[in-house]
Amino acid sequence: MRYKDGYDFSYKLSVGQVAWILHRLSGLALMFYLGLHIWVISNLNGGPLAFNKVMELLNSPVFKILEIGLWGVILYHVLNGIRLLLIDFAGGAKYHKQLFWVVFLIVLILTVLGAIPFLHHLGGLK
Amino acid sequence: MRKTFGTSGNTGAMGWFFHRLTSIYLAVVLLIHFAVMHFIGDGTITYAKIADRLASPGWKVLDILFLYTGLYHGLYGLWNLLEDYIHNSFWRAFIYFLIAFGGFALVILGTITIVNFKKIGG
Repeated sequence: MRYKDGYDFSYKLSVGQVAWILHRLSGLALMFYLGLHIWVISNLNGGPLAFNKVMELLNSPVFKILEIGLWGVILYHVLNGIRLLLIDFAGGAKYHKQLFWVVFLIVLILTVLGAIPFLHHLGGLK
Repeated sequence: MRKTFGTSGNTGAMGWFFHRLTSIYLAVVLLIHFAVMHFIGDGTITYAKIADRLASPGWKVLDILFLYTGLYHGLYGLWNLLEDYIHNSFWRAFIYFLIAFGGFALVILGTITIVNFKKIGG
C-alpha cells in the first residue's frame, strides 16, 4: 500500500516469509487431518467388518489422489521443520534462504516419486 | 524486590522446547508410518494388517508415543498460530479451552483405540 506522502508500507513477500506462511498453513492442515485420522481409525473398535468397510471407501481413487496431496504437505512441513531446527540450533540462520530452496527441491522430487506408487495402486497395477 | 516483575514467571520456554523435541520423533516416525502404510506392500489398509502390527509390543509403544507427541505438537502449534490473531481475552480463553478439550477427547479416543485393541476374528 502506498500512502499519499510517498512512503511505501507494502510488504514484499520474502523467502523467509513464504516459508513461514507455508509452514503455518501446512501445520494447520495436518492438525485438521490428525483429528479426522484419529476419529476414522477409532473404527477399529467396531471390529473387522465395520473397519474394512470404512477402509474400502478410503481406498477409492478420490482418496488416493488426496493422499498424494497429504504426502506433499507432510514433506514440506517435515523438511521445513528440519530447516528451522538447523536455523535455531545449528547456526543455519545465515543460509536460511538457500536452505529454503533445498527444502523446496527435495519436497518437489519426493512428492513426484511418492506419487508413483499411489498412481500404481490407483490403476490396480499393484 | 521481585525479580519477575509484572509477569507470571512462565516464559513458555518449556512448551517451545517440547515442541522442538517432539518434532524430531515425529519427523522420523511419520515418514516410517507413511512408508509402511502406502509405499511398502500393495497400499491397501486392512483390519488384519493393523492387528498384526498391534500384536507386537514395539509397534504398540511406537504408536502410542506417536499419538501423544503428534497431538502435543499439533495442538501446541495450533494454539501458537491462533493466539497471534486473537487478542480479546475472552476469546483467547475460549479457544484455549476448546483446544484443550478437543485434545483431551482425542487423547482418550486414540488411547482406547490402540491400548484396548483386541483382534476379533481369524
